[in-house]
Amino acid sequence: MLQNLLTDGLVIGSVYALVSVGMTVILGVLGQINFAHGEYYMAGAFAAWWAIDRLGLSYIESIPLAILIVAVLSLVIGYVVMQRLVDVSFDAGIIATLGISLLLQNGATLLFGGTYQVFDGGWLAPMRVLGEDIAQQRILIVLVTLAVFGALEWLVRKSSFGKQMRAVAQNVECCHVLGLDVRRVVLITFILGTTLAALSGVMTAPITMNIYGAMGEAITLKSFAVIVMGGMGSIGGTLLAGWVLGIMESLVAAYVGLQFRDAVAFTLLVLVLMWRPSGFFNTKARY
Amino acid sequence: MPRFTVAGQHFAGQLASGALIIACLALFPLVASSYQLSTLIISMVFLLPALGLNLILGYAGMLSLAQMGFFGVGGYTSALLAMHFGTPFWLNFSAACLVPALLAIPLAIPALRLRHTSFVMCTIAFVFILESVSKNWVGLTRGDMGLSSVPRPRIGLWSGGFIVHTTVQYYYLGLLLCVLAVAALVTIVRSPAGRYMIAIREDEVLAASIGGRTWHYRLAAFVLSAAFAGAGGSYYVHYVTVISPSVFDPTYTNTVLVVVLGGGVGTIMGPILGGVVFIALSEVLRIAPELRMVVYGLILTTSVFLFPKGIVEPLTAVLRGAIPSRARGSHGR
Repeated sequence: MLQNLLTDGLVIGSVYALVSVGMTVILGVLGQINFAHGEYYMAGAFAAWWAIDRLGLSYIESIPLAILIVAVLSLVIGYVVMQRLVDVSFDAGIIATLGISLLLQNGATLLFGGTYQVFDGGWLAPMRVLGEDIAQQRILIVLVTLAVFGALEWLVRKSSFGKQMRAVAQNVECCHVLGLDVRRVVLITFILGTTLAALSGVMTAPITMNIYGAMGEAITLKSFAVIVMGGMGSIGGTLLAGWVLGIMESLVAAYVGLQFRDAVAFTLLVLVLMWRPSGFFNTKARY
Repeated sequence: MPRFTVAGQHFAGQLASGALIIACLALFPLVASSYQLSTLIISMVFLLPALGLNLILGYAGMLSLAQMGFFGVGGYTSALLAMHFGTPFWLNFSAACLVPALLAIPLAIPALRLRHTSFVMCTIAFVFILESVSKNWVGLTRGDMGLSSVPRPRIGLWSGGFIVHTTVQYYYLGLLLCVLAVAALVTIVRSPAGRYMIAIREDEVLAASIGGRTWHYRLAAFVLSAAFAGAGGSYYVHYVTVISPSVFDPTYTNTVLVVVLGGGVGTIMGPILGGVVFIALSEVLRIAPELRMVVYGLILTTSVFLFPKGIVEPLTAVLRGAIPSRARGSHGR
């Protein structure tokens, strides 16, 4: 029973971590909270559903297509809106991304109807791991998450683009002085962050089964909790915070009551903030 | 951050224009349809928490998304009092201001240690925790079923009195509450405490260095904003006569944000104008229900770039251009 709950929590936590890390890199580079982040998760799930249901593709084919669709979508939004958010105030950024969130959420409802759609795909056959039956899709989620986090750590620490990202995160004016194309870095980071959310949406849809226009809202809010707990800007911290949240949710749902599950994220957040105001892993000053 | 300059010589003029606006609004039911009035009533429902957000964000410089949490607490307080004890409206309303304000004090202890993003997240957290409490404390709130047939506001000293039930009567009740709330906000902002809050917004370290206890003033801003939100909750619950945990839904928080930030944060007229324009807009767009929120989102995003200081900015510019005034120029914003 307990082992079951822990694996469940680990899977859900991986989903949270995968969505949140996209928001973390956007926050780090752009300095803005992306209130529409969960909507790209939703868009990823819907694009894959559309590919499977309307185009008759298989699940494996739908994954790259969904990511491509979301990348194009975020290229447009990034070009029109997000690039301009570099030098606007913190609350203007919130209202702009909130507008995008409403736009995408209700756009999806307009396109695909307000009802739940059933996502038919994925590998749901159970597999025996450590004496337990786990759906293959769940194992895949954890593996993909680990791979993505490894790749991101490498990208940010070692690659030349990662250096540019860190430079923009530290001082935008200095980057301008040095001739670094800040807008390009912001745009690419934004697309990277949103496609990670989309990947998470595509990977999770076979498990949650139902997809709907407003599904991203709860994810956005939980991502807030995860990135703050992880110490905004820390990639490893985000993974840890995602797992902690997933496992806590699964334990609370089982032992305290299902109805308390959605309050876990925020109760945990307040407790962590009281104990460590800058999150688990942040070595810098508070944001 | 937009600045609100309280120049003494302008105050009389502002008072006069305020009185003119109130007079126009008071006469509005003579010409308006019941539908237009109910739209304005919804604007006034959102104006009350918006004034609180305006105080904490526009003057003290802290973006609190907990407003609708306190709105809900105020609504539940008012509804439960009226249902169980049959108390008159003034008492329900006062309790609806007081309970969220008292609740804000313990919540402020973790929240006020934080700045910027962490503070925003912490205040979002409160709404979710309050929602969870309202869903699970079934004995008091009846959980997801919510409270229905909440009594209509009874205007009387203790027993008996007059029961508000028509749209016009609700309109006047709302107008009275909003005028009082705006007057309270103006008083707070013009007081030394208000000026100190503005100082904190501009530079907290500097404000602390002149010897004030910034923590006290930030707490005061947080508590007062909760009281404004609770006032809105009380008016709302007696108007719609039902309340359920859905009052804590992010949609409501978003609406208040739109009203304040879209209207013009840190100004008195901004949220008032924002309340009327954006709520009316969402009603006009109701003719195409599917498209409504899409257009709403589009307008929101574009308004950030077109009117970064809210719609009050271009409107005042137009008014200034239209009225050739002596005051123009000497006291810029």
